Amino acid sequence: MSTIAIAARGLSRSYGTSNALKGLDLTVDQGEVFGLLGHNGAGKTTTVMLLTTLLEPTAGTATVAGFDVRSDPRSVRTKIGYLPENVRLYDNMTMLENLKFFGRLSGVVGLDTRISETLEFLEFTGHENKRLSTFSKGMRQRVGIAQAILHRPSVLFLDEPTSGLDPQGVKTLRETIVRMNTDLGMTIFMNTHLLSEVTKTCTSIGVLRNGELVYQAPLADTLATFPGEDSLEQVYLTIGSETH
Amino acid sequence: MGTLITVIRYEILTAMRDRLPRTLMIVFLGMIAASSIIGWLTNQTVTAVYNQVLADGLTTAANPFSGVSPLRYMSNTVIYMILIGALLASVAGVQASLRDRKMNTADLILSRPVSTVGFLAGKLLGQGTWLAGVLLVSAVTNWISISVITGSVLDPTGGAKILLFYGIGWVFLMGFVSLGMVSGLRSTTEATALLIPILIWAVLVFVVPQLGTAAHPVSLLNPVAAPPSQGGFFQLMNNFLGPLAVGEHFKTASSFLLDTGQTASIASLSFAVIVIFALVAAAVLLATPRNTVRSALHE
Amino acid sequence: MNSLTVHFGKEITDIRRNRFFILLLGFLTLIMVISVIVSALDFRTKMADYTLYLDALVKSGSTEVPPAPPLYPLQLLRGSIEYLELLGALFAIILGYRMIAKDKGSGTTPLVFTRPHSRFSMSGAKLLATAAIWGTVVVIVFVIMVLALIGVGTAILSPQDFSRVALSGFYAWLYLTFWSALAMGLVALTKRLSTGLIAALVIWLIVVLVIPQIGDTMDPDNQVPGGLFKSLQIGKADEVAVTAHFSGFETARDQIEISSITKHYERTTFAFLGIKDLYNQQPLGDVWLALLPNTITLAAGFLAAVAFALLSTVKRTLLRKES
Repeated sequence: MSTIAIAARGLSRSYGTSNALKGLDLTVDQGEVFGLLGHNGAGKTTTVMLLTTLLEPTAGTATVAGFDVRSDPRSVRTKIGYLPENVRLYDNMTMLENLKFFGRLSGVVGLDTRISETLEFLEFTGHENKRLSTFSKGMRQRVGIAQAILHRPSVLFLDEPTSGLDPQGVKTLRETIVRMNTDLGMTIFMNTHLLSEVTKTCTSIGVLRNGELVYQAPLADTLATFPGEDSLEQVYLTIGSETH
Repeated sequence: MGTLITVIRYEILTAMRDRLPRTLMIVFLGMIAASSIIGWLTNQTVTAVYNQVLADGLTTAANPFSGVSPLRYMSNTVIYMILIGALLASVAGVQASLRDRKMNTADLILSRPVSTVGFLAGKLLGQGTWLAGVLLVSAVTNWISISVITGSVLDPTGGAKILLFYGIGWVFLMGFVSLGMVSGLRSTTEATALLIPILIWAVLVFVVPQLGTAAHPVSLLNPVAAPPSQGGFFQLMNNFLGPLAVGEHFKTASSFLLDTGQTASIASLSFAVIVIFALVAAAVLLATPRNTVRSALHE
Repeated sequence: MNSLTVHFGKEITDIRRNRFFILLLGFLTLIMVISVIVSALDFRTKMADYTLYLDALVKSGSTEVPPAPPLYPLQLLRGSIEYLELLGALFAIILGYRMIAKDKGSGTTPLVFTRPHSRFSMSGAKLLATAAIWGTVVVIVFVIMVLALIGVGTAILSPQDFSRVALSGFYAWLYLTFWSALAMGLVALTKRLSTGLIAALVIWLIVVLVIPQIGDTMDPDNQVPGGLFKSLQIGKADEVAVTAHFSGFETARDQIEISSITKHYERTTFAFLGIKDLYNQQPLGDVWLALLPNTITLAAGFLAAVAFALLSTVKRTLLRKES
């Protein structure tokens, strides 16, 4: 059985004449928490869109959980979970109704039990029958995570997961990401521009610059190559901004 | 199949909780309830006018309303389907599409093993089920009010005709739900999304019939379909644009079902036009590309 | 330059750059002109039928010449006026909505309110801009319609006809500004923009379509295609005599109709243009006096809507963000 969770080869995407992603070659092993760093517009969200089959590549291909995003997108979708940036979910439905909806779309068997287990795992019980219109941003984000892991995907994609959260929310989310990786065995692919998130949660990182992957290494190697407290910032600034 | 049913179920749930279509639904049901009373009042007056004309010795013609079907009391319902029903259906369709774009949930759904066609078909059928419920309430309202007005329970044939009327009405309105959904998916702002199906409705209900019949726009609010004008230009226009005048076709089809004048042969064309309108609108909806379903809403 | 003038200039620039609204106005003008053309063609068809009938009479040796269908050019504007009352009102709602939607809850509105300004400078400027836009649109549309009348309808208009058209244009301006102001007030007051828009659309549906439709279908003559009295072969004089017996019903029907501002606009304009037979070819002064109650109602509605918009479009409502 392959130990590779994500493998991209020459993955590209253009919007008209603009090349958002240029020939991405990337490998993420199973069990990793991978952080993709980059400036705004570097191609991070496009990469996630392509790997989650929401966009079709204009060139190249990728496999996620062993399935090709081009030839077998449906199988990819059965194996992934996804939390977009600033997701609001359905305001006029309760948390339970939202979770049941997304759980059913993913074909979860024993849904009621799975929802209870998931909410206990996220330490977020007691709000099941409240409508989401009454939820804070942090609470919505936890419902967003719950829907993404209900079907126990093998690869979980998080797009700027801490965007707009308060410091306590960021801390809780970081701990949750680590637990989803260690306790549920999920490979996690995370887009972020917050360096602190990467050092505290990721096992390896990649840096995108103008649609090209300019750096990829395990976190420990990065820290060794760029020693010092500001090491990641150094990596980010020296590699990511050269032609910015 | 499971996915389709899930989408249908949740579409019904959210449609029932959406305040905007719900407000229009209340107006629609209120007017349906009022329409029988208006129909009865008008019928009473027309009969009295005829009796007066007869008493004054001004006519020897037979009363055009003697022995008319009790379903005639529903004639105003026809126009409310075209006016309020179509608007309700369009707004419900627009909201169904905008909901996922506003809440950023389209990406969540499409990153699951759900096909675009399955997702959109589920939403359309969910809206259709909700709409069928609204129309069923309307049908029962009509049945009860006609029974009360005539003083006797409407016979099963009358009841069946009411159901058939709402059946074709459902098909007619589903065309507007699809139109609203397409607009909700393709427009960049909520106002544009709401306005475009209303504009298309205005063209189909007012402009197209005017070109074929020379009827003035306000007279097209009458439940009786406008007869085509005799001029060569109008007959030409009527031949070309006639099939697009879905509002007039709905009046003709309803007139046959409610026993208010049209023959089966004339009405059959109108039935066909309504069904084709709904099918084309649904086909345009289901052909929406995946990327359009995911497109962001501005404003 | 005071804050009112600055805001006014910005509003005008905003709307000039709003392609969608410009397209809507183009659409409205187009269908109004098409309506004039359709009416002119319909009249030509009737004239052609009359000529054929006359030829047939002459051939059969008859000496009796039936009167030709009369052409009153301004009556050809009926369909266009009806489009203005139906769809013009809808587009006016959209303009009112846009006026508020682009600023309400936006990041730039607080920047405006932290600068020196008078309480009603923003709402006043929006209303002035709305009035100016409708003024311009009405002038353009009515000029095009008159040109269509002269060009396609081959009509010869007297100076008094121009006065009648100008007066109708002024009433159209009152009516359209009324709808924009009403929509502005509703959208400003409601928490969600779309709720305000839908509230305005529901009012439009009831006032513009449903109420006049109820009045129209309650008219006994509208119960048969072609008209009840025509089907019973009853002349106009007898029709009036017969309907006089049903004054109670007619009063009730009238009360329903006049609860809609649209009917006041329609009645005044139809009277000025001679579309309503009763007022056709009557001196303008007499028509004005006869329709004064409708004018007063329309003007009162206009003022009330403007006041409503002025008082609703304030800092508190504009700074409120959607939940």
